[in-house]
Amino acid sequence: MVMKSKRIVAVSGGKGGTGKSFIAVNLAVLLAKSYRVVLIDLDVEAPNDYILLNTELDGGVDAYTMIPYIDYSKCIKCGECSRVCGSGAIIASREGLPYLLPRLCSGCRACYFICPTKAIKEARRVIGRIYTSSIRLNSTNLTLVTGVLNEGEEHVPPLVIATKERGLSIDADLYVVDTSAGTSNTVASALLNTDIVIAVTEPTPLGYHDLGMILELTKKLDIETWIVMNKVGLGDYSRHVELASKYNARIVAWIDYSHEVLDSYIKGIPIVVLNPDAQASNEIRNITELIEREVL
Amino acid sequence: MLEITVASGKGGVGKTTITASILITLASRGYDVIAVDADADAPNLHIALGIDRWDYIEDYSESEVAEIDQDKCIRCGSCMEVCSYKAIYLDDGVYKVNKLICEGCPTCRLVCPVDAIYMVRASTGVIRYTKTRYDFTLISARLEPGRPNSGKLVSREREYARGFAREDSIILIDAAAGIGCQVISSIAGSNATILVAEPTKASFNDLKRVYRVARHFMQPTALVINKYDLNEDMTHRLIKYADENNIYLLGLIPYDDTIPKSISLMKPVILAYPDSKASKALREISEKVVEIIKNWSEWYIKYRPKKPHPYKPIIIKPK
Repeated sequence: MVMKSKRIVAVSGGKGGTGKSFIAVNLAVLLAKSYRVVLIDLDVEAPNDYILLNTELDGGVDAYTMIPYIDYSKCIKCGECSRVCGSGAIIASREGLPYLLPRLCSGCRACYFICPTKAIKEARRVIGRIYTSSIRLNSTNLTLVTGVLNEGEEHVPPLVIATKERGLSIDADLYVVDTSAGTSNTVASALLNTDIVIAVTEPTPLGYHDLGMILELTKKLDIETWIVMNKVGLGDYSRHVELASKYNARIVAWIDYSHEVLDSYIKGIPIVVLNPDAQASNEIRNITELIEREVL
Repeated sequence: MLEITVASGKGGVGKTTITASILITLASRGYDVIAVDADADAPNLHIALGIDRWDYIEDYSESEVAEIDQDKCIRCGSCMEVCSYKAIYLDDGVYKVNKLICEGCPTCRLVCPVDAIYMVRASTGVIRYTKTRYDFTLISARLEPGRPNSGKLVSREREYARGFAREDSIILIDAAAGIGCQVISSIAGSNATILVAEPTKASFNDLKRVYRVARHFMQPTALVINKYDLNEDMTHRLIKYADENNIYLLGLIPYDDTIPKSISLMKPVILAYPDSKASKALREISEKVVEIIKNWSEWYIKYRPKKPHPYKPIIIKPK
């Protein structure tokens, strides 16, 4: 038997507020009618898919990173841990005693490996929570996995990685990954090993600039990228079209800036459910058909 | 010198538009103003201000990435096992580093039994600045896609700003979306934080998250509600939240298509469409910021949190 690799579609876009979560949620809801779908919200700093699906986050499990625990009875005050720490999280006193600043620790474990006397042990720090929710909309079922970063924590990639792993561990036909804004390695971690990236942009110079950055990232990651032009009517998109062709990225949907979309957003009901005949719903349906043909 | 940060948690709610209006208003009032765009992986303030040239550009390289010497590598896989970022992968029997993921910590180098891993400097991005036609200096940074989001880069930008600043300067920092390290570096050490929200559940939720971070750093906060007329019920809830939490209500901006139009023109709306509803609201908000600055001590004492929102890292000790 040939093991089919997982089918993963990621939704990203660079700029905030272009409609990433809107597209991810609606795609997942439509596809869930015919397939077992897991929607994974990796915008752990500002997760909103659960809000768009009008649900609450209950239960959940803690997500951890490593944090050093210094056994001062074994410490020989050599200062190696403080020198190796790239985040400035271990400060050596004048006598050479190491002090930990927990907030700055990235959990990389370099100090643990460098300590010559094994005075550093691995403790765990909770950086956030991962929630798994079963969503029922009309007669469709959907699993939502959400990562939520604890307020005050700075190191995002470990939670993104843990949330993604948790989502992908659930058996399904298709995984829809929703990323944060930006193009840093946090977003790269979310996009890694996905089959298609859907970059959601808006026809403004800001959308254009950030679309260029995300297309550069997906090119380097070597992932085929589709573009959704959202909020059509807001401005000129001719440069976006040129950019798309330069990067060989297909523009797969044109979604009008409309009150119908806003209405669904405010009501907390996905537009494909609230208003299946809306222009946006039709365009999103076209994307799902493309996913069925080319990804599933 | 006052440093004021504009943050929102959720992206795309109007931080940049609001920042640009306040900058221009303050500069036109004769204040010495310095702007910092602290969103290095989607920098937009320069576009909103129509800037296409820089007086100064400096390469910024803080991070390193791991490199594996394949001649030395004995294919033990220890590096892949210890990488917290899953940046090392196996490709046809060969261990490789994904440079778009690598965070630059030396952990893999430390565990390699044959010293096959060394660290190389990664090109991280650029810091640049320019004097704008609106009579203030803008400091901006741009990260290479796939580089770690960097609080250090924001700190570096802020150092530049402080270097330019006089005793009476106002530094305005346009933060990134989210609440992670870039945003924490934008908020920590500021004198006040202006929060921007729109009346949607998603924005309200993210606002609460960034507000608690701001309060942890003992920031007095002010709130701007953008597109307030799209959902008046939610706007009332936002106002109530501000009231209950001693957040100063800076103002409400109606939905107005002159804002996207002005963005397309790459010209701040208060100059492109000075008579529009949104411009009127933005001017009022900017005037209130002027008032805050004039009566700083009084405002600060009134809106400074009485106690910080606690941040207690939850640590589970080893057995």
